[in-house]
Amino acid sequence: MRNAGNNCIVLDRAAVTVEAADPRSQETKTILAPVSLTLTEQRIAIIGANGSGKSTLLRLLNGLVLPSSGTVQVNGNSTQRDVSAVRRSVGFVFTDPLSQLVMPTPQEDIELSLRRQKLSKAERRHKATAILADYGLAHLAESSIYELSGGERQLTALATVLAVAPDILVLDEPSTLLDLRNTRLLMERLDALPQQIIMSTHNLDLAARFDRILVIDCGQLVFDGEPDRGIARYRELAG
Amino acid sequence: MVAGYVPGESIVHRTRLGLKALLLLLVAVLCLASPALSPEFSVGITTATLILVVIGHVVAGLGWQRLWRAVRLMLIFLILIAAYQWWQFGPLIAWQVIAAIVATVLASNVLTSTTPVDTLLDGLAALVRPLRRFGADPERFSLTVALMLRSIPYVIGAFADVRDAARARGLERNLVARSLPVVISTVAYARATGDALAARGLGDPEPPEAR
Repeated sequence: MRNAGNNCIVLDRAAVTVEAADPRSQETKTILAPVSLTLTEQRIAIIGANGSGKSTLLRLLNGLVLPSSGTVQVNGNSTQRDVSAVRRSVGFVFTDPLSQLVMPTPQEDIELSLRRQKLSKAERRHKATAILADYGLAHLAESSIYELSGGERQLTALATVLAVAPDILVLDEPSTLLDLRNTRLLMERLDALPQQIIMSTHNLDLAARFDRILVIDCGQLVFDGEPDRGIARYRELAG
Repeated sequence: MVAGYVPGESIVHRTRLGLKALLLLLVAVLCLASPALSPEFSVGITTATLILVVIGHVVAGLGWQRLWRAVRLMLIFLILIAAYQWWQFGPLIAWQVIAAIVATVLASNVLTSTTPVDTLLDGLAALVRPLRRFGADPERFSLTVALMLRSIPYVIGAFADVRDAARARGLERNLVARSLPVVISTVAYARATGDALAARGLGDPEPPEAR
């Protein structure tokens, strides 16, 4: 990791719109209204209803979604012009780890992540083995990812992302598919990380532990500030 | 059908990828080219090749269950092809065709089951490296092939899931209900895989300097 504790993500009137499904229509649908933010805190939570635009906002941060207007910069790199540099800085963990794990076994998936680092095959293997051991997953190294439990899969997905030591970790509802025990396990792991973490969640207990909360509603940023007030605002919106 | 890696210490596991790939090519050539010779000779060659491939499978410690699973997945097609060949050319040619298909698929199975995906990626990248001067990207090529192999079990699983869902709704004879969801879920899977790779920066153009 190159830049722990010194990250800066700047969204300058970044908005996401899509064309209407009907090709005859000239209308566009706003997925995320223009938002300007400077994200420097170590732990930032994003909360909001399903379909409110949380995932779109997160995907803007590592260039999976490009803004239709405005700009997004991560440590000075634009997601539009320097997407490779941005993706080296920003690791992304998906809600469903099966979407993320593309190789048959945890060992192979971590080795795939490490291919970007131009290591020799032996070095990749050695490093992947060490990472799995660090996550308590060594005994599952050669198991099929389909044989792992939900918690083991999510930990493996996290390990594959952290294998390349990103500066920033973005997580899209990582605990949605996990039970209470695995959620606690995952959060203990995340708490110990030096990376800046930006995470969307429906778990308000988790969100309350963060430094800053963003509340999204119908594609609009409606609150940005302290966790307690943000959660209260979200409860108001949810009725 | 083309299986994932099974860890092991057998002689087949320890054999270099290049040699295994060469043997796989030899199996394919023997099975596909031998019909150019006399039918009796062709049947003999193909049968001997099939026996050797099965021995290779057993020596690799892959087990009879795995062998049967690979054959079972294509059983209906094998029966249809065998019936047609028998009707058109007689039992000898029908056997030769079926033995050739089974031997080639099993040989591929032995290669992918005894070679870690990472080694396969390296091998494929090395194969394509000479084409770099013509604009080929070895890493991207090898990754594409690995993902294709990885997708096969998913697509087979999607067929099984959709069949069960159609049965549960009493639509097992409805072709649309049994095929359209497979197409949709496969496209969704491809998009999710693309997002996962993009998020990890895999397949992006190389940075000017290795980090």
